[in-house]
Amino acid sequence: MLLELRDITLLYGRIQALHGISLNVAEGEIVALIGANGAGKSTTMRAISGLRPIAQGSIHFDGEEITKMRADLRVVRGVSQSPEGRGVFPGMTVRENLEMGAYTRRNRSEINEDMERAFTLFPRLKEREKQVGGTLSGGEQQMLAVGRALMSRPKLLLLDEPSMGLAPMLIQQIFDIIVEINQQGTTVLLVEQNAQQALSRAHRAYVLETGRIVKQGTGQELLHDPAVKDAYLGVA
Amino acid sequence: MNFSGLIQDFGPLTIAGLTQGAIIALFALGYTLVYGVLRLINFAHSEVFLVGTYACLIVWGFFGLDQNSATPGMGAVIGYLLIGLVAAILISGVTALAVEVVAYRPLRRRNAPPLAFLITAIGASLFISEVVGVLTHRNQRGVPNLIRPTDVLVIGNMHITNLQILIIGLALVSMFALDQFINRSRLGRGIRAVAQNPDAAALMGVNKSRVIMLVFLVGGLMAGIAAVMYDLKIGVTRFDAGFILGIEAFTAAVLGGIGNLRGALLGGLLLGLVQVYAASLLGSEWLRAAAFIILVLILLFRPTGLLGESLGRARA
Repeated sequence: MLLELRDITLLYGRIQALHGISLNVAEGEIVALIGANGAGKSTTMRAISGLRPIAQGSIHFDGEEITKMRADLRVVRGVSQSPEGRGVFPGMTVRENLEMGAYTRRNRSEINEDMERAFTLFPRLKEREKQVGGTLSGGEQQMLAVGRALMSRPKLLLLDEPSMGLAPMLIQQIFDIIVEINQQGTTVLLVEQNAQQALSRAHRAYVLETGRIVKQGTGQELLHDPAVKDAYLGVA
Repeated sequence: MNFSGLIQDFGPLTIAGLTQGAIIALFALGYTLVYGVLRLINFAHSEVFLVGTYACLIVWGFFGLDQNSATPGMGAVIGYLLIGLVAAILISGVTALAVEVVAYRPLRRRNAPPLAFLITAIGASLFISEVVGVLTHRNQRGVPNLIRPTDVLVIGNMHITNLQILIIGLALVSMFALDQFINRSRLGRGIRAVAQNPDAAALMGVNKSRVIMLVFLVGGLMAGIAAVMYDLKIGVTRFDAGFILGIEAFTAAVLGGIGNLRGALLGGLLLGLVQVYAASLLGSEWLRAAAFIILVLILLFRPTGLLGESLGRARA
């Protein structure tokens, strides 16, 4: 397993946000976390990337326990996150934002190669190269956040709501790109409100409700599960 | 109101104001850098400057220089200046780091509220100032006459001295170097990232603690340069030398837009000019009050300062 969460709990002050989450992601997979607002999806992501300390349980990544490791060191190990709300640096240009994604790396020619790759995946970013992040549209910021997360050459890419705020046509496109990134060898764990897209593209998925995992299976199984259909797919 | 005096001496006053402003501007950078990253006013920065004013004097003392020494030859002066700068930069930098590690970091670890940081800042400032006071028996200490001010450039009634050129030149070069560092280097980008979005910066692999230490250090280096220039200009220092100038530097940082490096330069130069113009117009007893009247007026119309905040622009 590339990533393994064992029974993790997490507190926001006195409020318990996660009640014993266990999940795993194998190398080469796309795994989706779906669930309603407030179910704990983003919180789980923050626990994995290290932005939030967990109260109990353990997190293993690539054969190493990272439960208490600082977030910046997890990046060096190969975890990269495009966070909720995108986290674009508003005062930096598109190019500088991408450079930040490669902050832990030194090999200039490899960084330039990956910069070109990001521009190939998202031609729109190339057009906006010298524009500052704060002036981009929501969709452009989303592309920048995903492109930037790739700049560290991660083993595991964490995507928090990659389709948030995107026009329907762009949603298709961003999921196509996620699949493409995955086929180029990056493992992906993604959180999505758009369960339809997420389940049809993911190998496996977990369903979260109020800080617990209530269901898991392959994307196709969950896509055809009556309870999931009812709750998350909006099918009448 | 002495308008004719102000008009008549406008040139010389401007040069004097820019010289004073250059020192204030370099001093102000430390406030603005730390604020940009931590949203903290590091009041102990005035003492980071203070120890710099003593560091170079002590080192010059090793070479037998005191306030009564004759001015050495040109080559020796350059050597002494460099040694004095290095000493002040080192000691101020180390002091700034020590304040961060000893006073602020433990509070951050415990998620202390902003008020705890504020009172700690004031406490650290008083503590260092008092220690210097005890060690020096609260006496002032004179500065060796390394540079005897002589006119090197005369335009009309404007006599520009070698010392004024040195101070303004050194300040501009230091500011330019810092600006390049923040805007062009990888570490500088890391500082801006933490200022703009600390969580996203961590997700890029930026070590926040290291960035925080770096901004304290860089602010300290700049204060060290300002300290040497202050010594040369004023000719004496004392355990409370950082206090008033520190408030002025803080004012300059707010005036220009706290968190904004170029704002600190602009605010510092402007404050220096306003002070000398006001002193000429209203009498020197108004020098300090004038600066604050201007501050209040400008903030009424531009609450975020002249240039606004840029290091952490539109922080999420």
